[in-house]
Amino acid sequence: MTALRALMRKELASLFGAPTAYLALSMVALVTALIFFDHLRLYNQILFVYASATMGGFASDSVPDYVNLWDSVFFPVMETLGLTLIGTVPLITMGVFAEERARGTDELLLTTRLTPWQVVLAKFAVAYLFITLMMAVSFLYPATAIEQGGLGLEHLSAVFLGLTLHGAGLASIGLACSAFTSSQLVAAVSAWAVAFLFWDLTWASSFVGERIAGLLDALSMQPRYSSFAGGVVSLANVVYFAGIALVSLAAARFSFDLRRVSG
Amino acid sequence: MLGAAAGTEAGGVPQQGRGVAVEARGLTRRFGPQLALDAVTLRIAPGESFALLGANGAGKTTFIRLVTGFLLPSAGSITVDGLSPALRPSQVHARLGFVMETSRLYPELRVRGFLRFMGGARGLGGAALARAVDAAIARFHLEPVASRLIGNLSKGYQQRVSLAQAFLTDPPLVIVDEPTGGLDPVQRGEVQALLRALRGERSLLLCTHDLEEARMLAGRVGVLNAGRLVAEGEASEVLGREDALALFRTGAEPAR
Repeated sequence: MTALRALMRKELASLFGAPTAYLALSMVALVTALIFFDHLRLYNQILFVYASATMGGFASDSVPDYVNLWDSVFFPVMETLGLTLIGTVPLITMGVFAEERARGTDELLLTTRLTPWQVVLAKFAVAYLFITLMMAVSFLYPATAIEQGGLGLEHLSAVFLGLTLHGAGLASIGLACSAFTSSQLVAAVSAWAVAFLFWDLTWASSFVGERIAGLLDALSMQPRYSSFAGGVVSLANVVYFAGIALVSLAAARFSFDLRRVSG
Repeated sequence: MLGAAAGTEAGGVPQQGRGVAVEARGLTRRFGPQLALDAVTLRIAPGESFALLGANGAGKTTFIRLVTGFLLPSAGSITVDGLSPALRPSQVHARLGFVMETSRLYPELRVRGFLRFMGGARGLGGAALARAVDAAIARFHLEPVASRLIGNLSKGYQQRVSLAQAFLTDPPLVIVDEPTGGLDPVQRGEVQALLRALRGERSLLLCTHDLEEARMLAGRVGVLNAGRLVAEGEASEVLGREDALALFRTGAEPAR
């Protein structure tokens, strides 16, 4: 455990010692805020249109059900936040292993007491911590929509759980892609490719048989992520994201063995 | 003595004494069709300073990677203190310190922070870690740069940092890969002096292509040529041969 703690402390120092971390945090918070306020502006404009149409003043019963804070603001913002994470997380994880490989420090690391699993888990924990922090900052605006919608803490927790599980899946995919290359660019591009592919596999359903189409639907991240956004915590969805993380981290761990064999 | 772990069995660190043996038997390593190491058999006795010589690409770094367990052998075996690095990597790692070529460090960390990290990663904690770091900083004359970023140091200081991390737990085997590559003559002299002072306390495996360095630091040497061990023996004997340089040229015959 001493070795594991030492590596986590070092990873945290490396991450927060560089301006990239603060830049990424600020950029994601800014982008989310802009998207949130844009949707809010649009929602207010729609309300204004209905209010103007009612000569006697604004009447809430004149607004159709589908025009509400939830559908007009929260859902689209959450959807965009999920996609923003796909765009951002590979930028955070691309150097985690690739940089160690490129400068040869992975060899030094593996002559210590650290086992390959400990290295993978420590690096995942730090990347995940950072992504959770990033999401917490970005989640402030959409959270106000939930609060204004009067849906309460339970719903808020479900949505945030979905976000963190989505982040864990993406972080582990990013780490796995970083573990097989010494090029940060290759790591980022391959992580984007895998994440975007898994985000929505339903487009391929029309090209395959019914059984495989069902499998593709089951493997897609987007419907599961949206389920959390709807306030539904399903064990199947939790297992799905945990499975993605586990398989990806096992792949990252496997890269160490592969190098021992292939050099 | 460096660090609290030295001379103890605490945390699995073996007792520091006269070093541990490294033994290779028919050690072979292929990378696809390329034979990087061809049936190398050699023994480094406990407490011995041994230099592995050879031109670039002769197989020195491959040999080191097999000793550390970073690579698996294609055939043959390698043991450190009787333990296989392939099967028992953590036990082998508890017995060794590793000094890589210069610049293979974390440039974004400060010297003291890096040494604390490496000490922690080698199982030291609390007061023992603090003592080991302070002792290493003093021993390798790193006081003036202890708070500086590694990336801003000269190559000479970077190599001292690399040496310091390898000796944090006072391991019975230290592996040093090209310790003076890329250093200017003054820095080279300083690093060689530090290594000379550390000989004898432990087993030392030094990889270099500098014959003078090998003569200065090692009691015995082995010469690798295209993956084959073409000479092995006392440093003065092997390097004193009239045809010593021929051992480095392609086509040299394997040692019998």
